Amino acid sequence: MAHDALVVQGLDAGYGAVRVLHDVSLRVPEGQIVALLGTNGNGKSTLMQSILGLVKPTRGTVRAWLDGREVDLTGRAPEEIVDLGVVLVPEGRRLFRDLTVEENLVLGAWRAAARREISHNLRLCFETFPRLEERRRQRVGSMSGGEQQMVAIGRALMSVPRILLVDEPSVGLAPIIVKQVIETIGSLKAKLGLTVLMAEQNFTQAIRIADRGSVLVHGSIAFEGETAESLRDNHLVRQFYLGT
Amino acid sequence: MLDPVLIANAVVSGLLLGCLYAIASMGLAVSFGMLDVVNIAHPAMMVLASCVIAALCAPTGFDPLLAALLIAPVFGLLGAGLYRLYHLYFERRGDEAMQGLAFFFGLMIVIEVSLVLVYGADQRWVETGYGGLSLGLGPVGLPLRMLLPALMSLACIAALLLWLRRSFTGRAVAAVAQDRDALRFLGADPIRIKTVAFGLSVALAAIAGGCLIVVQPVDAHSGHVFIGRVLAVVILAGLGSLPGTLVAALVFGVIENVTATLFGPAWSPAVAFSLLLAVLALRPQGMFGRAHA
Ligand SMILES: Nc1ncnc2c1ncn2[C@@H]1O[C@H](COP(=O)(O)OP(=O)(O)OP(=O)(O)O)[C@@H](O)[C@H]1O
Ligand SMILES: [Mg+2]
Repeated sequence: MAHDALVVQGLDAGYGAVRVLHDVSLRVPEGQIVALLGTNGNGKSTLMQSILGLVKPTRGTVRAWLDGREVDLTGRAPEEIVDLGVVLVPEGRRLFRDLTVEENLVLGAWRAAARREISHNLRLCFETFPRLEERRRQRVGSMSGGEQQMVAIGRALMSVPRILLVDEPSVGLAPIIVKQVIETIGSLKAKLGLTVLMAEQNFTQAIRIADRGSVLVHGSIAFEGETAESLRDNHLVRQFYLGT
Repeated sequence: MLDPVLIANAVVSGLLLGCLYAIASMGLAVSFGMLDVVNIAHPAMMVLASCVIAALCAPTGFDPLLAALLIAPVFGLLGAGLYRLYHLYFERRGDEAMQGLAFFFGLMIVIEVSLVLVYGADQRWVETGYGGLSLGLGPVGLPLRMLLPALMSLACIAALLLWLRRSFTGRAVAAVAQDRDALRFLGADPIRIKTVAFGLSVALAAIAGGCLIVVQPVDAHSGHVFIGRVLAVVILAGLGSLPGTLVAALVFGVIENVTATLFGPAWSPAVAFSLLLAVLALRPQGMFGRAHA
């Protein structure tokens, strides 16, 4: 069995006096996709940002297994965490609208380890999303939502992630595009051996590629499913996502 | 009354003057337009550079434009340090709007008072070998004391634009202007990027200072007439658009000069600033700015 690549343990985090996450524990085995489920405002993004060091946890630890050694990420600066290879595709994509597709992608290669492989990874991005190669000189702000999501994922690939965090890749996209984006994340995992933690509200799509899932309710992990079936059968999932 | 040679001369010298405005505005287009740092001390920094260059060059005969290139890195380092202070005491606390403005206003006064204390209130001037020479383009004259600073200005602006488009850090500066915190997702520290960019903007003030002292004599308060102009140019262009800033500066220079030729110099600020108001009424984002949702 794969060992864990990312382990969150007993995490409390929030904004100022507002505590959002309560004693959250979560593990992502190496080379697997874990779906982080939960409806609006339950703390998915806050958890993602805590892992990346953008939100400072008040309690608990975040540890990663990188290059065969364990690294404690707790309390490190986001720059350091990204430099170690933990990369986030943020909620809302957060692209640089006035820069071109290619400029956005290349900025993804900021971390030292990624700069050496820019042309190789650019090719990888264009193989994954041929549309981006056609549009490489287009201003990102003028692209469709689906195309922008491709740029956002591509930008993260340029950082050569070891552990990829993806925050709600399906938001605002047409169902067919959602399907494509989710499938691409699944195939990238297989192709690059990525470890992925993906926050998603689209349960039916997420579960197609996820190896396991956790349901976040009011900032606590309410259920952890080791398999897609166990998630599908869970009453919380049925209540929130499947309407049954 | 409309003598074409007169107009042609006014347009050409307006373009040359516009190049001076461009280099004077470019640093502010970076700091104010891209970094959201309202450095109203920018023209004072330019005049400070002019005075330092005058002090170095007047006794030695060293060329002021070359001297500007030499002191630009020093100004850049000082600028980087200054941004760190500003960030620590204002920006990080979210006090930048009013207090930050007061900080740069205070800095402007400090620079001006120091200049009076060190150099006196008199005008500074540097004699250059080419000061009295002029190139003739048919009936249109190109005085070298305008032409050489204009060329230097254009070269520096071209280098800046190239750096912003081609280098890693340069592109990050363009990115920081659009979504500061998104850089953190890439593992870049936006404050470090802003430090580099602000340093660069102050280095540009030094280059502009070198151009200025070749064009005209300066005194401690020469920055004042530039504050309105450079702000107008940067806003006219559309905040953050550097090619736009160049075009707006040239337009400003030509309009000022042609107005001065036709109606007398007293009219030129009125016409130039009316243009600013008209453009802003029609296009609030400026000539080259992009309307953001
Ligand atoms: N910057 C912030 N400052 C204060 N409170 C915040 C901030 N960001 C999020 N919150 C609060 O934290 C809680 C969890 O928000 P979070 O964004 O983590 O939820 P989410 O599960 O990602 O929701 P969504 O699916 O809508 O993105 C919410 O109550 C939200 O109002
Ligand atoms: Mg969210």
